[in-house]
Amino acid sequence: MKKSAFKKIEPYIWMLPSIILMVTMIAVPVFTVFKLSVSDISRSGVVKGFSGLENFQSIFASAKFWHTLQNTLVWTVVVVGMSTLLGFIIAMVLNQNFACRKIVRAIVVFPWATSLIIQSIVWKYIITADFGSLNVILKKLGIISRNINWTPNAAAYFAWECWIGIFVTIPFVTFCVLSGLQSIDDTYYEAADIDGASFWQKLYRITLPLLRPNLTVSTVLNIIYVFNSFPIIWTITKGDPADKTHTLATYLYKLAFTNGRMGQAAAVSVVGFVILCFCAGIYMILSLRAEKEEQ
Amino acid sequence: MKKSRKGLIKKIALYLFVLVLCAVILYPYFVMFTTAAKTREEMYALNMTILPKDWKWSNFVDVWSQAPILRYFLNSVIVAGGATCIAILCGVPAAYAMSRMQFKGKGFFLGAVIMSQMFAPVVLLMGIYRLMLDLNLTNNLLGLILLNAAFNQAFAIWLLRGTFLSISPEMEQAAKIDGCGSVGSLTRVLLPMAAPGIVTTLIFVFINAWNEYTMALTLISTDTLKPITVGINVFNGFNMIQWQYMFATSLFATAPVIILFLCIEKHLVAGLTSGGVKG
Repeated sequence: MKKSAFKKIEPYIWMLPSIILMVTMIAVPVFTVFKLSVSDISRSGVVKGFSGLENFQSIFASAKFWHTLQNTLVWTVVVVGMSTLLGFIIAMVLNQNFACRKIVRAIVVFPWATSLIIQSIVWKYIITADFGSLNVILKKLGIISRNINWTPNAAAYFAWECWIGIFVTIPFVTFCVLSGLQSIDDTYYEAADIDGASFWQKLYRITLPLLRPNLTVSTVLNIIYVFNSFPIIWTITKGDPADKTHTLATYLYKLAFTNGRMGQAAAVSVVGFVILCFCAGIYMILSLRAEKEEQ
Repeated sequence: MKKSRKGLIKKIALYLFVLVLCAVILYPYFVMFTTAAKTREEMYALNMTILPKDWKWSNFVDVWSQAPILRYFLNSVIVAGGATCIAILCGVPAAYAMSRMQFKGKGFFLGAVIMSQMFAPVVLLMGIYRLMLDLNLTNNLLGLILLNAAFNQAFAIWLLRGTFLSISPEMEQAAKIDGCGSVGSLTRVLLPMAAPGIVTTLIFVFINAWNEYTMALTLISTDTLKPITVGINVFNGFNMIQWQYMFATSLFATAPVIILFLCIEKHLVAGLTSGGVKG
């Protein structure tokens, strides 16, 4: 009798350390952020009381917020979309047989293992106009004759930030796809070849359906990471010029820790949660539907 | 005849693609390396060259005395090492329960673990900052250790559970018949067999914590407590950026991580995708 009671609670005991860690370090801050978003907070950080939806009203009234939201969507869609496409192509190529394949695979890991902050610092140096490496190399190659200003305006800065985002995200996609490609049985392709299937037919009918779990994992995780990404934009522009290159992550950081508007920053955080939860919901519905179709 | 020609073109295109790919990926590392070996005068010279005119290898030695780099590295090791230990010590039992036991709320816990991924440190920073103030852990490496452990917990459980699920439970059942308890069958039977997966998880958490920037930037203000990702900005002075030292430090901070990553790459990707597929 005693033993069966223990059996019942045993799994929870095993999970207790992990639960305690995650509740104190993640769930408590989540709760605090929600609380701060409906609080009136002084510049020094003292909570003065409940303020209802005032923080939300003030961020929704700001044009900067809407511009930031637009940037965040562009940033997420462009970085995840392009890195998935390029990562997929690179994985297809790396799955071919060629000399030095192992070395090339190792090189593709590099951007994934490098700290985002270091990667961003290097690219910041590369695109500097007067002494940046890109101008020097292009001049030596004879492609340009004078230094080009690579970042004449906010849009150009933002485009470079997107490129760095794509650059560092590609390896993850590549390796997710590659591990899937290597588990596909060659006989499928042999059978398709006998039937005279073209490259595109094989891609759509064999490769993509079999890679769906891998692509799902990489896309879902990338959407979350890219949406919340902070170091790239913070290093390159800090959201400037004129707050035109912010995403939600850098915008709320600036609101909270530079401008001392904790309440509004918390409200921006909450908006971010809601958007991600909405995406997660859509994903759940789609994947459930796909599962049903398969059955 | 025609076919072999087509094959040749295909082959050339393949090698060209690979060549361009490698050139683009290695470009930032090439820039880091060549710039790190330039003299300060050359850095801002009008007539810039790609390679340094005279290689100043001493930069790689001097950088250690230019700023408390060693201290920053030590802090990074402490934070990443501590976070890895805690993440594994909490993650192994949790993954064990989730892969070997049936209980109420298992689906909920798995869902919660995956959901926790959605809360990146940066969107929780205000909450984290207040929590650390309450716990008196701002400007403290222990705070960073606990936070990094928690934010890597989901990945650790995910990877470990995938590993455990891929190992048949028969051996443990046999051990239990021989009188081993749950603890014994985990430590004596399962863990040795799961060693590759555990090493992968260890290294992955270590790298994530090593590369973490946002929380360290916000929570640490004392110079001697900064990890390398934050400390590196010491060369980003008010009126002059000392690129050569910045990049020398970057190389020192990056090389070990890339080597570690190469060791686990195969296991890691298999673990990430399989952990997600096996519901």
